[in-house]
Amino acid sequence: MDVYFEYLEQVFGPLLNPQKRIFIGYLVSALAIALFVHIAIARATIGKAMSGIFARSIWLSRSATADYTVMIVNQAIMMGVAPRLISKLVIATILFESLHIWFDGRVTLLPQTPAWVVATLFTLTLFLLDDATKYLVHRALHRFPALWSFHKVHHSAEVLTPFTVYRTHPIEAVIFSLRSILVQALLVGAFLFFFGDRATLMTVLGANAFLFFFNLAGSNLRHSHVWISYGSFLERWLISPAQHQIHHSVEDRHHDRNFGAVLAVWDRFGGSLCLATPENRPAGYGIKGGSSAPHNLTTLYLHPFSEAAQAVLHPFLRGSKDMLKTIRQSRALRWTALGVLAALAGIMAQSTQSKAAGELNIYSHRQPFLIEPFLDAYTKKTGTKINVVYASKGLAQRLLAEGERSPADVILTVDIARLSVYADKDLLAPVHSEVLLENVPPHLRASDNRWFAFSKRARVIVVSKAAGDANTIKTYEELVDEKWRGRICLRPGSHVYNRALVASFINADGVAAAEKWARGLIANLARRPQGNDRAQVKAIFEGVCDISIINNYYYGKLKTSDKSAQRDWAAAVNLIFPNQQGRGTHINISGGGVAIHSRNKEEAVRFLEFLTSAKAQKLYGSVNFEYPVNPKVEPSPELKALGSFKEDQVPIYRISELAPEAQKVIDRVGW
Amino acid sequence: MRISKSKLLATVAMGALLAPASLHSAVANDDVYADFPVTVKGYSGDKRNSVSYSGQIARHVLHDSLKKLAGKGVGKPDDALKSKLLTYFESGDAGREIVAPAAKGAFAVLQSSVDEISKGPNLAGKTYKGTITGMPNGMTGVELVKFWIDKASAADNGVDEANGYNYPQLISKFIMGAVSYHQAVDNYLDENLEADNKPNDKPYKDGAQYTGKEHSWDEAFGYFGAPAHSLTLTPAQVYAIAKQKDDALAAADYNKDGKVDLKTEMTFGPAYYAASFDKSTAGKDNETKYLHSIVQAFLDGRKVITSAKGEKLTDDQRVKLKEHAASIRKNWENVLAEASYKYAGSVYNDMEKLKTILEANGDTAKVYGDYVKHWGELKGFTLALQTGKENLGETATMINRLIGFGPLLLNQSQVIDLDSKGNYLRDQGLGWGEYMLHMAKLQKLLVDKFGIKAKSNTISGDISALAKSLGASAGAEND
Repeated sequence: MDVYFEYLEQVFGPLLNPQKRIFIGYLVSALAIALFVHIAIARATIGKAMSGIFARSIWLSRSATADYTVMIVNQAIMMGVAPRLISKLVIATILFESLHIWFDGRVTLLPQTPAWVVATLFTLTLFLLDDATKYLVHRALHRFPALWSFHKVHHSAEVLTPFTVYRTHPIEAVIFSLRSILVQALLVGAFLFFFGDRATLMTVLGANAFLFFFNLAGSNLRHSHVWISYGSFLERWLISPAQHQIHHSVEDRHHDRNFGAVLAVWDRFGGSLCLATPENRPAGYGIKGGSSAPHNLTTLYLHPFSEAAQAVLHPFLRGSKDMLKTIRQSRALRWTALGVLAALAGIMAQSTQSKAAGELNIYSHRQPFLIEPFLDAYTKKTGTKINVVYASKGLAQRLLAEGERSPADVILTVDIARLSVYADKDLLAPVHSEVLLENVPPHLRASDNRWFAFSKRARVIVVSKAAGDANTIKTYEELVDEKWRGRICLRPGSHVYNRALVASFINADGVAAAEKWARGLIANLARRPQGNDRAQVKAIFEGVCDISIINNYYYGKLKTSDKSAQRDWAAAVNLIFPNQQGRGTHINISGGGVAIHSRNKEEAVRFLEFLTSAKAQKLYGSVNFEYPVNPKVEPSPELKALGSFKEDQVPIYRISELAPEAQKVIDRVGW
Repeated sequence: MRISKSKLLATVAMGALLAPASLHSAVANDDVYADFPVTVKGYSGDKRNSVSYSGQIARHVLHDSLKKLAGKGVGKPDDALKSKLLTYFESGDAGREIVAPAAKGAFAVLQSSVDEISKGPNLAGKTYKGTITGMPNGMTGVELVKFWIDKASAADNGVDEANGYNYPQLISKFIMGAVSYHQAVDNYLDENLEADNKPNDKPYKDGAQYTGKEHSWDEAFGYFGAPAHSLTLTPAQVYAIAKQKDDALAAADYNKDGKVDLKTEMTFGPAYYAASFDKSTAGKDNETKYLHSIVQAFLDGRKVITSAKGEKLTDDQRVKLKEHAASIRKNWENVLAEASYKYAGSVYNDMEKLKTILEANGDTAKVYGDYVKHWGELKGFTLALQTGKENLGETATMINRLIGFGPLLLNQSQVIDLDSKGNYLRDQGLGWGEYMLHMAKLQKLLVDKFGIKAKSNTISGDISALAKSLGASAGAEND
């Protein structure tokens, strides 16, 4: 029952809804205008005018009756289709949210401008964008054969009444709906972002003010036999009813003219405008050489599908037929096709075959692509199946919450500060392994053997190749020199990499000296600290600044990136290993340990040992431009190409001990 | 006798004005949560009124006082302050003065010590004991408050600017949930409504003038913190009472003794927030009626219990009671969700201002203070929301992830963890716009999950209303 009432509402609602073309008020205004034209201009009597306007030959014609039927059927179809279309609220919300990322915050435009101005702007923009996209979609419906198959339904009307607007194929209705959804959503999302709640629609009786006046001015006469031209001046700006009637003309000379809805400017730009001069008055409406039964429901609803399918499939069918023929004729191709099939089958069979000997669960802060080569190598060597839980943060909390139930065997992370978190929370087990003691030097492991470093990374200075003077920099300390004012870019100080660097300064020279250095560094910034290490290189490439501090492997990654833009960034800078005459370049580590509640500690230790073996240590260089910790292993050729350097030998645990103090320094100087 | 037209009009008008007023006073008693008769069988004392919830009011007072004291730190560890804060949180010691709400201007308050309200209550014993997943290291509710108390006692006026925490706000908003909301909806209005729990045919405890069910229900009402005569007041009046405005005295002072009796006439936290949303939406399309709905449900439920006349409640009566309890629970939950929504909006607005100030190299001190305060309220309320009867599951996880353990600070760092000594660990946080977006998403999540309506400080404006005003897009119309 409810569905029935909903349907009635759907059919008759538009008559009472000023947002719709066939709102009773607009029909009345159209009638008034039509009467005026008949009586004042054509000098007809009221009776004659009325019988002309309401002629049976128009309103009860086969064409018009088909309009009514299509309208009634379509409303039922649209009841089912409309709720399944993407919601404009969803698109608007996504846009509103994405704009926050693009602008890194909220941008309020014209904050002092009163709400009514914004409302006018919003309404006008909506009207213009709506009208322009209607033109484009309409043009596309005529241009592409598959789309024309559906739009043809509308043009098959041989008699025009205001209800001809509803003579529309459901597929076309979906296209129109999506256009409207997209336009409205873009505008709602963007205007709310830039103007806040000042963005409102100017309405008359709830309808867009511009459209209200357009409709009141007799838009319904576009689909009618009342010939109203606006004259050659106005018709270059606004589409008159007569111009739209030309659009429906059966004559060849009128084809693909006047696609516009309200404004004529789009047709003018697109070269499709046709003025409604008396000689352009159409001889008739409809499609020449169309269906023999254009008002039949099958023709209206089903034929467009087969026509569209033909239009789309025609070239494709011909193409695939040709291809099959070629394959049949060529023996080589036949064997290749067979080979590909066999290979696919083989791969599938193998993937179900491999059965794990043991299992190891790893919680990793390192990105999957960085550790997978190691895992693969280990699995290949031992047959142990490895499961990885990857997360950039929150793993320590997760481990804490899991407690003794935790499945984790091995923890892998980057940066000594993060490693210390696990040690501090007592989440790592002490490990007894001669191999690890031999492969990892004392200053790169915990004194109680709960964590070990597996690779080293250097925090280096990068300078613009174009900045000659900057290429002479030799130490971190020099960066506070006044001559670099406004020429340095940095990522935020609280990031563990920078905090560790400050900690190394505290270790070397004390808190006061470290703070003085950090303050000097901040004074030389070209912009607020932001972005990650790669973003600093990009900034140098873009000329925002000349100098920055990054981890060495980012340079290597950019240099060998598969994105050419990133290779350009790397090509714009030189790498400097600082403090080679003094304490050496600050390094940090990636490392890990065995989870305290691991049920598979032996295997876990074996895996850690593997990571310090010569084979794995070399991988660190080739996979990620990181230096080996094992003194017996030479850096990879890729690393050697970056240059060799002397490293700061401070025991790495000191860096994490000094991190809280370093954070305070960073806070005080506003880094 | 000739009666002039104007006289007639005046008489009619007077009558029209007086009629509802007299009607009002006639039913007024019925609308007040007070003076329910003693129904417990075999009671031998001289009490004629079975309503009592002074322990709950005492806890509101402990909370208000704790909040005020938490802002007294001088920026370095202060053991005396810390032990004083703990006195209000976990001890039942006698002699605790009421720090807040104290008399203010014309707003005279009857009591000045906690003992005058109730002897020996504390907050810790009634604080949520589950794990608080929205903060690091798996602390229980009690541990979290004590952790904050420790930090507050060492902070400057209760605020740790470096890490972005406003402890009075965090403590206060969290306790509003972890004690008041939690006790009411997860205990008194939950287990205690079962037939064998606190039965109605026995006194709550030996010699008491109230039955088990009567007292359970009253205590839940006490935790809501609304004046007993709330239904005779507008939300705006109930709100003004909490603000202790001079002209609110008349509204609060129901017994006309010239002073506000904290036990029955004062507005406390939960009711204050309920009233605030009702007040701000009054007469609008999105009008809420949290305050009156909750108080009405309490009153109706109490009438159901009283009508049992000291007998065990029938199943029908308990079903009715549970319906009232469910309505209270939902409305109360929504109040906490509305508050979370509002402060997510405040945080967003502060961030927008901060960005503008930073870009202009201006002084951020004032707005940064607001930001940290609003973030504390947001965090406190969202954690409070997670101490109710239902486990919010994924919703809680999403809320906690969006907010994080601390606000995004001006140097783009954010607290990500606590070490074993309770020191905050920070790292480079999200982008500024990204964290703002988190606030927008949080608001959307709260609307989707709780169906709230007041929506103060909305971020996306009314995106759905604007979208709707453009009319339906789907349609089978050509051009």
